[in-house]
Amino acid sequence: MLTERYLQIFVTLADEQHFGDAARVIGITQPPLSQGLRRLEAMVGAKLFERGPGRVELTPAGVALLPYARRALGAIDEFHHAAVAQDPDGLEIRLGLAPEVPASLGAAVAAACGRAVRGSRVTAISAPTSSLVGQVSTGRLAMAVVLHPAVLDGLQAGPVTLLQSWALVPTSLHPDDGQPLSLRKLDGLPVAVRPRAEAPAARDLFLDTLGLHRPGGGTVVVTDDRAALAMAAAGQAIVVTPDDSLQAAGVGRHRLVDDPLPVRLRLVWPQPRTPNALPPEVMAQLAQALAAP
Amino acid sequence: MTARIRATFEDAGARGWLHAVSLEHPDQSVALDPDVVVPIASVYKLPLLAAFCHLVDAQELNPREQVTLAPEDRIPGPTGLSILQDPVTMSLRDLAVSMMTVSDNAAADALLNRVGVDRLAQLLQSFGLEHTRVRRGAAGNLSELRRRTGASDVDAAFAVLADNDQTDPVGVYDAAGMSASSARDMTTLLASLWSGRLLSEEQTAFAQKVMQQQVFSQRVASGFPYDGVRVAGKTGTFGALRHEVGVVVMPGGDAYAVAVFTHAARGDYRLPRVDAAIGEAARLAIDQLR
Repeated sequence: MLTERYLQIFVTLADEQHFGDAARVIGITQPPLSQGLRRLEAMVGAKLFERGPGRVELTPAGVALLPYARRALGAIDEFHHAAVAQDPDGLEIRLGLAPEVPASLGAAVAAACGRAVRGSRVTAISAPTSSLVGQVSTGRLAMAVVLHPAVLDGLQAGPVTLLQSWALVPTSLHPDDGQPLSLRKLDGLPVAVRPRAEAPAARDLFLDTLGLHRPGGGTVVVTDDRAALAMAAAGQAIVVTPDDSLQAAGVGRHRLVDDPLPVRLRLVWPQPRTPNALPPEVMAQLAQALAAP
Repeated sequence: MTARIRATFEDAGARGWLHAVSLEHPDQSVALDPDVVVPIASVYKLPLLAAFCHLVDAQELNPREQVTLAPEDRIPGPTGLSILQDPVTMSLRDLAVSMMTVSDNAAADALLNRVGVDRLAQLLQSFGLEHTRVRRGAAGNLSELRRRTGASDVDAAFAVLADNDQTDPVGVYDAAGMSASSARDMTTLLASLWSGRLLSEEQTAFAQKVMQQQVFSQRVASGFPYDGVRVAGKTGTFGALRHEVGVVVMPGGDAYAVAVFTHAARGDYRLPRVDAAIGEAARLAIDQLR
């Protein structure tokens, strides 16, 4: 029986011209992809691709059938969209947010999702970058706001958004005068950092930059913003955060001279044709919502 | 084992591809996405070396032929003839030595011109390397990089790639436009180089020697901090790409071909954690095969 998956394999392989890449785009491994192609070719009664050294090329039969496959796949997509419109609960958009995303910014992206896809239901979850990237790759999440830089194997990603950071400094270390402070001067207390495994590349960039500008003072690992703010209020740590809403008595808020430690965020989403992927134009619009909320 | 190797790359903030195989027991291997085609950067100099040596064996090229390279004909690079100021006259085989030991871009480009891109492609095919393509050499890669980044010179173009605050321009790491290969193809080439099947005894010895003389030890060799272990390799570096392929020989003589390709999340020029992860991954793979 001709299934959506066979058509997907045919069209994706024609676009990617590479078995590994096509498998990744569809979200399956290579053996089922090769098997699917063989079955489709048996069904059609002709070879659709020449598998040469290092390349995959359409045969004349493949060229002739490709437009029909595209049209059939397009019709199936329309069917899915029509079906969603019939569903009283609407399309569910699962959004992931890294814990470093300020609450108001995460809210802005979620609201933009609701506006971009009419009748949709937005579900948001919060998880570390490394976990979110995996969940987007497998299609469990439609998109996620993650820390940059991160390893994004095969995912689509919007531009890098830079958020200026604040230093939350105990008033016991520096008076709450609102003055910008040089990072180098802030070596009287450790800087609170979240666990490295949550986002190794971004965390290493933070720690390497911190070490460059501030050779002494050290760091202390905290589980979340709540713990970090508590440590600052107790006069035990300095918190570096882009979040305007984080505040406590006994903690002053200062800009850092030259903003050496901005938080870099990116919206990531799966390749087109992954199950549940939203249309590229919608994703471009949402990436914009993160860049200019 | 692949889960541990994958975790090693993840912890270093990089995507990794690996293939390692025992030269004595070719049926024993460790693999992490070994057939994915990756841009190989300067690792292309290894297949170029193999082709050059093959042409010397076939007496189509004379290894002692002298070539004079004027500064304006030499392409940029961080080492070797690329950084010299005056005309240089060298033999083809010495160009090969500079290309392999210090990854000399200018020497490699001159050698690629003598071997020829088409002749090289035919030879790679005859070596059984199905996923390996060498395009235009470093000169072409660098002008393509300038075009894609919109930068005025090579240094400015690399600065764009190194900036963590902006997105990489579309296609700069696209395997389609550059010299590319798979990890398995590279270990296949290394295994045939070491078996003596590919080249004459003299050329086999030459190829192995120039790889042992490579000066860079921060990648594969960093995973084997023991004097008794010998590493013969070729690195490749381009923006966030860091690779090395080579043969690791244990004190008892057991030899393993290993190819490690990485693509780091960070753009920085220096990422010692990723270099070290290449060594760590190679060691994990080879320990599994021992």
